[in-house]
Amino acid sequence: MQSDIVGIIDQIVQWFGSLDPEILDAVPRYLAALVLLAVLIAISRWQGLGVGKRLIVGTVRGTAQILLMAVILVTIFALRDLVVIFIVLAFMALFAAHTTSENLDHIPGVFRVSLPAILIASQCVMAVAVVLGVVVPIGEYIIPMGGMVIGNCMTLSSLVIDRMWSNAQKQRPLLETALALGASPAQATRLTIIESIKAGLLPNLNRYASLGIVSIPGLMSGMIIGGANPVRAALFQVIVFIMIFLAVTITGFIVSRLFLSEMFNERMQLTVPPPT
Amino acid sequence: MTTMGTPPVLEMRDVSMCFDERPLFEGFNLRLDRDEILGLTGPSGSGKSTVLRIAVDLVSPTTGTVLCHGVPVTEYDPRELRRRMILVPQRASMFSGTVRDNLLWGLRVHGLSATEDELVGALDNVFLGREFLDKVAGNLSGGEMQRVAIARGLLLKPDALLLDEPTSALDHEATLVVEDTIRAVLEERHIGVLIVTHNREQARRFTSRVVELNNNNRKDSEDSSSMGVSQ
Repeated sequence: MQSDIVGIIDQIVQWFGSLDPEILDAVPRYLAALVLLAVLIAISRWQGLGVGKRLIVGTVRGTAQILLMAVILVTIFALRDLVVIFIVLAFMALFAAHTTSENLDHIPGVFRVSLPAILIASQCVMAVAVVLGVVVPIGEYIIPMGGMVIGNCMTLSSLVIDRMWSNAQKQRPLLETALALGASPAQATRLTIIESIKAGLLPNLNRYASLGIVSIPGLMSGMIIGGANPVRAALFQVIVFIMIFLAVTITGFIVSRLFLSEMFNERMQLTVPPPT
Repeated sequence: MTTMGTPPVLEMRDVSMCFDERPLFEGFNLRLDRDEILGLTGPSGSGKSTVLRIAVDLVSPTTGTVLCHGVPVTEYDPRELRRRMILVPQRASMFSGTVRDNLLWGLRVHGLSATEDELVGALDNVFLGREFLDKVAGNLSGGEMQRVAIARGLLLKPDALLLDEPTSALDHEATLVVEDTIRAVLEERHIGVLIVTHNREQARRFTSRVVELNNNNRKDSEDSSSMGVSQ
């Protein structure tokens, strides 16, 4: 019995010793961060914030989820297969469209219009970036950069749909005036669409303008932490911004055009109900 | 005045409209010819504005037929139909920009344009001077907006103007100006004008015929006697 336990411990120690030195370096740091979490939970209990349980569950669940993702990524990276990498991006786009539709569950057809928009924009921009040699054609680059592109497409998609819907409710008389003058749905909503896309670009344009002065954005921070040369990291940060701007703009035009079919019928009648 | 043998600009036959399965009106008939001002009266909530929106196919009736020049409106391209019959809502909405921008808005959606003289002419039709062209549309008074909305529609050379209570927010003096405007337009363009009004005095004074839409028709679908042309 005792020898069995010793054997298991020995196996664990051996497995642990076989891990990548980078993982071995991160594990004690993760454990040390749990001390900070304990301090946070103590403050929560002391001040009655009531978030202690959620923090514990969130940490356990979040760690499991992200480790699972990391293991999947390791496997995908090892395959060195661009098709698989782009299938992973497609799944991410699928999940982004699902998230958009959950956030806007009071609006019909959100998943139906946001999925093709996010999928087409992100896949096209990433594919062109790979073909032009802008992005290193390996998963380590394509998936994180694609993730940023898809995340921004998701945000823009939500913004455009939400604005088009709420404007159709709030500015119904103006919209119907446009239709009554013979405007097509696309003409009647043109200004709303342009304003929505501009509003969606604005946060990133602000970050773009303040690059390196106010903040060091995510990709550059990650690359520097990962040991990359800061100059290389800076150039990739600008690259990813350009890719985001392009993908977001494409998403905006596709999603707005597709969403018109949810707002108007084939007789060019507004089908959005008045606000309740 | 009915032109013999020529289909009316607008005709509604046995039109009914329900909202949430509750009848708003039933068995409604209407005929609008060129060179006439037809009044549409009725109490609040009887569906007068809805009649106008049905006419330009902004909403579809529950039952019945709507014809423009003898052709069902459903057979028109909606954009063409709405160019032929211009609906001016009760509260005229102005697009952002100047009066000039607003006058050109309707033309641009049809791929058309207008010369400076044509814009001035359209304003002259509604008794507004050239100086209005560069005023910010959102700063105009209610009556001025109403007249700009009429001018904006007239530039599209429609066959009919459908006006939803164009004078409801105006004082007596401004009301008379708008009425004069509409008469002048009729004489010059030979179009049909359908005007919704809850003001019986205005209907008597201003229109050549009156069609009434009243609450009885909403409640009793078989009583359609008061729905017809009353004069």
